[in-house]
Amino acid sequence: MGWGLVAPALLWTAAFFVLPFAAMVALSFAHMEGREVVRGFDPGNYIRIFTDWTMLKALLNSLEITVVVTVVSVVLAYPLAAIIAFRVPVRWQRLALLLAVLPFWTSYVVRSYAWLLVLGQNGVVNKALLSLGLIAEPLEIAATRTATVIGFVHFFVMLLTLTIYANLIQLSPNYARAAADLGAGRWQTFRHVILPLTLPGVVTGAFLTFVLCIGDYITPQILGGNAELTLPQLIMLQMGRSGNFPLASALSVVLMAVVTLAYFASSRWLRMDRV
Amino acid sequence: MAHKATLPLTALALLAVASPSFAQELNALVWCDHTDPALIAPFEEKFGVTVNLKEYEGTAAGLQILEQSQPGEWDVLVIDAVDVKRAVEGGFLAELPADQLPTDDFFPEVVMAENNMVDGKTYAVTEKFGYNTISYDKTKVDPADMQDMAALTSGKYDGRIGIYDYYLPVIGLVALGQGVNTADITADTLGTLKEPLMALRAASKQVSDVVSAQTALATGEVDIVVGGGEWLTAVLAADNPNLDWTIPKQGGLRWAQSIGVVAGSTQPDLALEFVKYIVSPEGQARLATSSCYWGMPANARAGDALSVEQREILRWNEQPEFLKRAQLYPIPDAALDTAMQDMWTEMLNQ
Amino acid sequence: MRALSWAYLAVAYAFVFLPVVVLVAFSFQDGRLPVPPFQGFTLEWYGRVLGERDLMEALVNSALVAGVSSLIALILGFLAAHALARVRLPGSVLMRGVLIAPMTVSYLIIALGLLTVFNQAGVRLSLWTAGVGHVVINLPLCFAITYAAMGDHQKNAERAARDLGAPEWKVLALVSAPMLAAPLAAAFFLSVTFSWDEFIIAFLLTRFDVTLPVEIWSMLRSGISPATNAVGSLVFLVSVTLVVLLEVFVFRRVK
Repeated sequence: MGWGLVAPALLWTAAFFVLPFAAMVALSFAHMEGREVVRGFDPGNYIRIFTDWTMLKALLNSLEITVVVTVVSVVLAYPLAAIIAFRVPVRWQRLALLLAVLPFWTSYVVRSYAWLLVLGQNGVVNKALLSLGLIAEPLEIAATRTATVIGFVHFFVMLLTLTIYANLIQLSPNYARAAADLGAGRWQTFRHVILPLTLPGVVTGAFLTFVLCIGDYITPQILGGNAELTLPQLIMLQMGRSGNFPLASALSVVLMAVVTLAYFASSRWLRMDRV
Repeated sequence: MAHKATLPLTALALLAVASPSFAQELNALVWCDHTDPALIAPFEEKFGVTVNLKEYEGTAAGLQILEQSQPGEWDVLVIDAVDVKRAVEGGFLAELPADQLPTDDFFPEVVMAENNMVDGKTYAVTEKFGYNTISYDKTKVDPADMQDMAALTSGKYDGRIGIYDYYLPVIGLVALGQGVNTADITADTLGTLKEPLMALRAASKQVSDVVSAQTALATGEVDIVVGGGEWLTAVLAADNPNLDWTIPKQGGLRWAQSIGVVAGSTQPDLALEFVKYIVSPEGQARLATSSCYWGMPANARAGDALSVEQREILRWNEQPEFLKRAQLYPIPDAALDTAMQDMWTEMLNQ
Repeated sequence: MRALSWAYLAVAYAFVFLPVVVLVAFSFQDGRLPVPPFQGFTLEWYGRVLGERDLMEALVNSALVAGVSSLIALILGFLAAHALARVRLPGSVLMRGVLIAPMTVSYLIIALGLLTVFNQAGVRLSLWTAGVGHVVINLPLCFAITYAAMGDHQKNAERAARDLGAPEWKVLALVSAPMLAAPLAAAFFLSVTFSWDEFIIAFLLTRFDVTLPVEIWSMLRSGISPATNAVGSLVFLVSVTLVVLLEVFVFRRVK
């Protein structure tokens, strides 16, 4: 009976997730001759990824951007979630939270485009700073890594605020009170009581941020101005322009490996079934 | 328990309703200028059919899509005129009846029989052309400088240049800047182009696709777009009259796109009608002023269907001079093409 | 400290809302470029967008793909969660791992893998193929949410139903599902949201009929204009309305 119920989901996952992934791994060991895909066991694509500076740099760019985005997003989102959970009166908390994540509901493609308008040479930010006399020349933010990072951080601050808030309100106020009774200061209470208790939630959110950020094509493509390439952009270039599916597959396997490493690094705190 | 079972069924039924109706459909693999409803709708109405359009980027990817498709899946293909041979060699294009095409009305330079014909048979027909040169904002740069490609990397315009993100024309332009004709780009000469290409990249702010390049120029993100041309500035002419383009003394590139019927099409007659519509004066005028980008129509009789202003924006009267000074795109074989793309990717990620 | 908190809150809200405000404001731009200076107020772009056939078709396509794929993901996820939470099966830890796995994989990889397989099998790309991909990404979510929600309370009720002679499918449909209505609804709407807004899978796995994000992407690529702002604003308006309605009528009630 139990088998019959679990079988459909397992079959679906096997057919449309495990099998495709296996097919992709197999394809990554093929190579192109002209327009023909020649199958075989050729590690050439992987050797190229780790010896060709263009490819390696894309991997490094992706890692750098993702780490910066993850750290900045957590650092910005934690206080926001804490303020909503502890400072905002309880009856307004749901509304405050809803407002904080409202732009989540703009279309994902449009959100990056909107940032492009905001950050451009003639965008709102530059116009405002210029008219306030804070800068003399327009800042060059659009079409740089900074723009990509801002676009990402915007999205993930909203996501992390949600997950961290959910963790914070589950904490019983008794913990903080007990710590205070034992003579702990605010900072000590946070450092030794609140933070460790919310760590699983933070790490889970950070891991999700890592996975979503490192695999994202749209944000760097729209905001980065091709000033540099990230791994997903390189994959799409190999596929969309060169039609080199084997190389695109190999790059994807590398991307997958990076995510897997991140998973093991954070697994002792992860609660994937409690997102 | 009936409602549990009917819910998915209802959904399925809904999906079936939303699926394409049974009206005749034409599947076309095209460039973005063909997706303008103003271009497609008249044909759809006249023949009572639906035209399905799919855009692609770059010949290699387009041919890849055809390769992976089932026979009969595609009816019409738009392709770089210089790549028609590659498509014919891959067996992707069917022969066109040359006598039904109005090539006599074309600008003679763009009939391009040597590109559109293989072994004496016509496989495609030129539909639109223009130039990849230098676009700029004439109030922000010295137009005299724009006559010389060397000015771009002189340091004067550092950080104010955008590069159009398509490897063939820009590598071609860099070659012209080095005194190498586009037809002479080989695996050997390509190596010598790397340094000037990287220098151009170092002097520029961004590498952008069609729309980002338009936006960047129109909003002042950049003042110069290398690889641009009338296709870049014409769309914006009404909003920013300061945008201009020129062919520098080293020369410029002429792009041309061709259209043909895909081999194995299940409705070759309708596909041919579509091709004939596109190269007719009416279709040509609409294609020339399509929403994605403008370009000169191959059929000179389209001039009658265009307004005076439109012809002016396209610089209709200056074409003889331009045509003389522009070279065709480089025509790489598969190996050189890969080498050029790799060099381009390296430039993007330098 | 308190003042600092409120200041932080204000700055955070400003940051979060900045792009949305700019997006909406310049959708009313009377001119072709959605950047300052503001040249005047017009509703022209909204009219144009609402009259655009491709966009409206894409909107319907998106709704269908989101609805159908989420429903399939929900049913598969619910059944699997029910089985794994109730019956002790050998290898259930492994099975849970397999079912959750797609959640930790980038959408791009899922899309590329499916594209490879569909190409090899000669499957034509369509809304269906994109829908298959969306089920793959939403199944783990539906499974995890319903699995986490199953408790002893339901177990006892189910056992009672079984003791009274109800066949298993009746227990599932008449006892388990209604008792889990809230998490099931949450899982469904979350799936709909993800599918509705998903780009890369829909981009790589559709051909002619596309979903809204893909249509917006090609709009972006074929000319910058306040029309894009207008579409973005409309989608935002619709989504927010739905969220508020759900908040008021579904989630608040079941909490």
